[in-house]
Amino acid sequence: MVLDPSEIQSEIAQLETRLQEMRAQLDASIYPSPPSSYPDNKIPWTMPSSTAFYNNKFRADAVRSSSLHALLLLSDSALPLGSFAYSSGLESYLAHNKPLRTNPVTSFHRFLKLSIASLASTSLPYVLAGYRQPEDLETLDNDLDASTPCIVAQRASVAQGRALMGVWERAFRVSFARPGGTDASADVAVSAIDDFSDALKSTFDNADELGPMGHFAPLWGVVCRAMGLDLQQTAYIFVLNHAKAVLSAAVRASVMGPYQAQNILASQKLQDTIMSRIEREWDTEVDQAGQVVPALDLWVGRHELLYSRIFNS
Amino acid sequence: MRQPAMPIRSPFESSIAKPGQGTVVLSLLPPNNPTLTTLTYKYPLKLVPRSGGFTPSPESSSLSESCPSRPVHLYLLTYGGGLLPGDHIEVSIKLDPRTRMVVTTPQGSTKIFKTEPGNSDCPNVIKGHRKQMPANPHLSDMSQQSLDVKIGRQAALCYLPDPSVPFQNSRYAQVQTFTVDAAAKGDQRSSLCVLDWVTQGRTSRGENWNFRFWRGRNEIWATNEITGKSRLLLRDSVILDDETDDLNDSDESNEDMPSQAGLLPLNIIQERTRPHGVVGTLILSGPVFESLGSYLLDQFTSQPRIGSRNWSSESSSAPESSPGMKGDVTWTAARVRAGFVLVKFGAKDFETAKLWLGGLLREEGTIVREFGEEALFCL
Repeated sequence: MVLDPSEIQSEIAQLETRLQEMRAQLDASIYPSPPSSYPDNKIPWTMPSSTAFYNNKFRADAVRSSSLHALLLLSDSALPLGSFAYSSGLESYLAHNKPLRTNPVTSFHRFLKLSIASLASTSLPYVLAGYRQPEDLETLDNDLDASTPCIVAQRASVAQGRALMGVWERAFRVSFARPGGTDASADVAVSAIDDFSDALKSTFDNADELGPMGHFAPLWGVVCRAMGLDLQQTAYIFVLNHAKAVLSAAVRASVMGPYQAQNILASQKLQDTIMSRIEREWDTEVDQAGQVVPALDLWVGRHELLYSRIFNS
Repeated sequence: MRQPAMPIRSPFESSIAKPGQGTVVLSLLPPNNPTLTTLTYKYPLKLVPRSGGFTPSPESSSLSESCPSRPVHLYLLTYGGGLLPGDHIEVSIKLDPRTRMVVTTPQGSTKIFKTEPGNSDCPNVIKGHRKQMPANPHLSDMSQQSLDVKIGRQAALCYLPDPSVPFQNSRYAQVQTFTVDAAAKGDQRSSLCVLDWVTQGRTSRGENWNFRFWRGRNEIWATNEITGKSRLLLRDSVILDDETDDLNDSDESNEDMPSQAGLLPLNIIQERTRPHGVVGTLILSGPVFESLGSYLLDQFTSQPRIGSRNWSSESSSAPESSPGMKGDVTWTAARVRAGFVLVKFGAKDFETAKLWLGGLLREEGTIVREFGEEALFCL
């Protein structure tokens, strides 16, 4: 493959801006402050700086240097992770709380709040740890597997984790893992995924059931780092994607219509909820992660007992 | 009397231990004689052993070839029957290969006494005995309990305590770590049965999840004694936090508001445990509890499907009578990794949960057969 000089030049410019950006990130990599939940502070996705809006000129560099592209890829509901197959306990919750169905939307709001709190307390620490220490991926995977209390949740997490591995290897890796290593921060993550992938494949046929599993949360953290997202984006998008999946499940379970779902998704309340949960778990070590909603474990575990089901969890 | 392999520690050594610490080592002396080679404890903790109460008969035991040893019963007590703010209980137990131990709490539920908000004085229970609380109220006034049990190969632990009952405004954290021998395979493996449950408080006084903080963490690690490597096999962690610290951090004078602010719609813990008044976890592993685990899984999967229609009008009420079918207990059982069976349950109150779980365990019979009726003392 031969690139023409102008392409190479733009590539170089892009790499240089990325390099600068990642160096800046590396400097701030101690991440001393949690993300702020105040709306007037910076929101976690870094859009091109506000000057881009004042100048009417399209600034390609600014878009390139931000991780906007990767961010949009990862937040796409068409990202083939199979998230649509899981309701994260919503279906079971509805079946267990029939009397509440007189007002399904209120009941759903309660579930969404519980679900986000639970996800943030159980899985988010693993996302953050995966991002912060990609080299620990295998240990994180083992510990998360040990902390997953039921088969239903384990299946959902592993299926999505392996799907993410698949998307990374077959689609993203070519574009985001650049050989030559101009970007040390992402390279650590890329090699961690490669190692983990090898470990996953080599123990796949092994009868030893304690081999690597490929859980979703720690992999998400590592993949986001490999794709150049910062930690706040990684955490926010993880929780937001979960909220999207639950809302999408609610639409398909006839709890509400699609406009109402988008209304909730767009609401400031949801943003505040997500922010406050992330802020709360920002410094939670993985061994301190735990279930804050015991009732949710019961609903998810009892999903298997539903007479009819449209979701896998 | 024969000289034991390991000299019995001087009882005076216990004075070296820090308050609330206790150490127990259970060894098997030849030919088949379980002996506590170490037993130390310090106020406010008390450990009382009792042995010889029950002998599993080789023919009734499912593991007759391994010739199970007599279980030793250990009572876990605290003065006052509960934990005060700032109390730290640390119990360390080592079960040598082929020994068996039953641990119960004969005082009834572990009461977690309340934390006086912003009160730097010692609570005026048992004058002067408890240590002074350090200045920082947020960390110091937490009651803590840690239990560390090393279970050798073919050894078995049966730990079915009463639930912990956190009083209004109490704060409590508990860590229970169980370590098994990673090298043991098949019937050589260590066995354990651990129950951990928490209630909404004193219902007679109208308490309904009104405590500040309760966390229970149970971890099972496999350690290979030759290589020294440890691996986490299972972690069960429940955090019930009313999250008022977040709101009141800046405003200390507001500290005693939450009790009056009970008029708020629902506190966070109520919201997250609703509709249950007690939640808990039962962890089973190893050859001794294999059949019990399978039984519980069968009971779980044979529960009636949720949302199914009963087409025949005169349905047989036979399955309803089974203890696993009680409608007022919501539970789930799963065989998770490494052969562990994890049961999680929620029930409307303590009595319901106790009857349900006690019923299941008695009906299956493993615990009574291997450890005696006294192992189910709390159920």
